[in-house]
Amino acid sequence: MTLLDRSLRDQAAAIAAGEADAGELLDATLERIGERNPELNAVVETFPERSREMLAAAPQGPLHGVPVVIKDEWPLPWRAQRFGAAEMLAPSAPGESGPYRALRDAGATIVGIGNMHELGSGSTGNVSFYGPAHNPWDLERCPGGSSSGPAAAVAARLVAGAVGADGVGSIRYPAAYCGLTGLKPTFGRSAMDGHHMAAYSTTIVSGPLCLDAADCRLLGSVLCGEELAAGEAGGVRIGVIRDPVSEDVEPAVREACAQAIETLREATGGEIVEIELADLEASALAAVLIANTEGMNGLTPERLNHLDPELSPLGRGLLKYRMLLPAAASTKAAQVRALMRQRVAAVFERVDVIAWPTVPAVAPPLEAPLVELPSGTLTADLANVRSGALANLTGIPAISVPVGLSDGLPIGLQLQAAWGRDELLLDAAEALERGNDRQAVEALPPPAQAADAAGA
Amino acid sequence: MEAANRADDFIPAGLASLGVEADEIELAVIGAAHAMFWPAILDLFALDVDGVVPEPRPDLSQAPPR
Repeated sequence: MTLLDRSLRDQAAAIAAGEADAGELLDATLERIGERNPELNAVVETFPERSREMLAAAPQGPLHGVPVVIKDEWPLPWRAQRFGAAEMLAPSAPGESGPYRALRDAGATIVGIGNMHELGSGSTGNVSFYGPAHNPWDLERCPGGSSSGPAAAVAARLVAGAVGADGVGSIRYPAAYCGLTGLKPTFGRSAMDGHHMAAYSTTIVSGPLCLDAADCRLLGSVLCGEELAAGEAGGVRIGVIRDPVSEDVEPAVREACAQAIETLREATGGEIVEIELADLEASALAAVLIANTEGMNGLTPERLNHLDPELSPLGRGLLKYRMLLPAAASTKAAQVRALMRQRVAAVFERVDVIAWPTVPAVAPPLEAPLVELPSGTLTADLANVRSGALANLTGIPAISVPVGLSDGLPIGLQLQAAWGRDELLLDAAEALERGNDRQAVEALPPPAQAADAAGA
Repeated sequence: MEAANRADDFIPAGLASLGVEADEIELAVIGAAHAMFWPAILDLFALDVDGVVPEPRPDLSQAPPR
């Protein structure tokens, strides 16, 4: 196994110990991106000279010399974000965003820009100004969104870690589809400044997508500007919900997640507690309404009538539809948010984590992102938001952990915890990994295996 | 369904009243989005949250005040 295929922490440790040369690792990373990325479209831009300048100036931080990818949602000093779109509604310009500064100060080397779902408005990654990103497990499948490129880049071992953003599940969905661990930190805990919606978004956070929980801890600590200290997850009380919506999940996903929950219980000496959390569908809609309303800054009829023609028809239509959303629904959404925050707080007096599938089905085809659930055929977006939105609506942290495969495609279990208990999520995820003998986190997607077998 | 059918009037009228133009493809997208979201929005309106006071400036990094 080359250093490129190793974890983020192994790469950092090897460089810190003088066992690996950061310049050689950077060159090898760029070479691998050149080899593997054309079929993935995970990385939409590299800038080798900028990367080398970053490396030359890198301090001896926890990620000294380690290559990472950052989503097209954050400005860099040499590049404005495009938000995966031909046109953004908000002004954008090159600059030092919070995640950029965090990575720079940690000594990391940004090697490329990760593709993303256009305007961050989808959970699949099949629509982008740059063209769709592809899932390394099956190139005809969605990598998830909106942090599609960061996830595909890590899953294909282009880099060991990437920075995404999560407004309504946008780190966790691609983590699940690509077999990665992805952390949505507690709202406000991770670096957000420089994001074009930082001043008014109440759902978006930055967060890590990595091979496993320990790497998420490392990169997450960098993004949060504080150590997400490791502990021992013991006696974890795992809340599970049994209602028609929560159980409207592909049988293989349900089985793998149920097994993983049992594994987590055994690994931590914990217990499984049945809980009730009513109105999850309403909370999902509330989160979508809030995120869409907050994203309306800059929307005017005049602007909408002169959208860049390269913006996708889907993007143009959805932007215009936002204008028709009733204001009263936003008020109702705010009430639902208050209600769900109270309910979730009450639940976390009884349990430490809430567990359910990150997404109800494995990655759907790029061409038609539909999923078959017991209740029938749904768009992946509609199905996914039911699982992902609660954390954004309420502000709580959440993590997606790979727990198995179905027909060769990854399955993710989501764990959610109370505000500020990001560390517990990481501890629990590590306990689950150990309980599974790390089989799920060490599984490789077929293209990488094929490339390795060919000696690439 | 009835509500979705009313979209035939609501969408063009709503866009026209705002002065927003849309071509056929965009109208199809808007129609699909409307069919997907509107029933849920109506359900949201029907949800009994009387007495629930929205947090004026919620601190989403913490649990809500009791």
